[in-house]
Amino acid sequence: MSKKLLVVDDSPVSRSIIKKCLPKDQEFELYEASDGRQGLEKFQEVRPDATLLDLTMPVMDGFEALEEIKKIAPDAKVIVLTADIQPKAYEKVMALGAAMVIPKPPSSEALAEGFSKIGLI
Amino acid sequence: MNTSQAESTFSQNDANILEEVMNIAFGKASADLARVVDIRILLTAPRVEFLKADDLLQWIKQDTKTDDTLNMIEQNFWGKYTGSAFLAFPSSASKGLISLFDDDDLSLGAESPLLEKETLLEVGNILIGACVGKVAELLDDNVSFSPPRLVPQVVIDNPSTTAISSKLNDPDKMAIMIKTVFNFEDKDVKGFLFLVAGEESMQWLKAALKNFVAKF
Repeated sequence: MSKKLLVVDDSPVSRSIIKKCLPKDQEFELYEASDGRQGLEKFQEVRPDATLLDLTMPVMDGFEALEEIKKIAPDAKVIVLTADIQPKAYEKVMALGAAMVIPKPPSSEALAEGFSKIGLI
Repeated sequence: MNTSQAESTFSQNDANILEEVMNIAFGKASADLARVVDIRILLTAPRVEFLKADDLLQWIKQDTKTDDTLNMIEQNFWGKYTGSAFLAFPSSASKGLISLFDDDDLSLGAESPLLEKETLLEVGNILIGACVGKVAELLDDNVSFSPPRLVPQVVIDNPSTTAISSKLNDPDKMAIMIKTVFNFEDKDVKGFLFLVAGEESMQWLKAALKNFVAKF
């Protein structure tokens, strides 16, 4: 059975890279959003099994989007996928309820490991 | 090469890839600085623009929305990708940077011009070195750097050719401008990082960006 995966990232290139890195032996029903506000709306609409969330985005950044997602669904599985690798950014998203952080650019191995860790695959 | 020629050589997709590469590089740079100053640095999504080099300062003025003079740290880099990096702070904000390096061992007073200069150079060196170094790594390049140089009190409306790099005042030179804003949390200090590369780097950069995406 395919899993619903929401990818929230303002960069079309990053979204493309993420799609290329998804485990090939799994089926995903993919949803995309290009900023935190859109991501939040899409999250409410589709209730994905997991969300890959960028942090540095226009309109609404990933910190705020994560906070809002967790208000809607405290059990939401959110993996933060970001270039912002500062320790304080890591601490903040983990405190907000992220399942884990994967630094950009992602690898197929890192995504598979992340999905496995949150029980998606 | 004029702006439209540059834009046609360098597609929107190329610009999107470059913005993502810069996003990763700026993230690395801010993490390196955060380790030194123990403060979180808020980043904006990078933006790529094509400009004539002599329009650069006016563009910076519009973009920074400042009538203040700017203190700029300049560092040149050479590799297959060759250019100059500029880290600009409104002059009035520069003193706020000193407090980031709140070190009791520093024998210089907080008002010391030498301390302000050294702080700006150190911040510039860390941010520019990490950022350009990461771009080079991602694009399989290897760059060398000039020492950072402080260009103080740049008056945007009347930049003296002696005060700032001639690269910014060559009317025929095209520039790929990549910008992000560094905002130091709780310090009310904003910095603007610009990378300017001439057209001679454009063809190499285009191919390198294609290769970067092909890795995935």
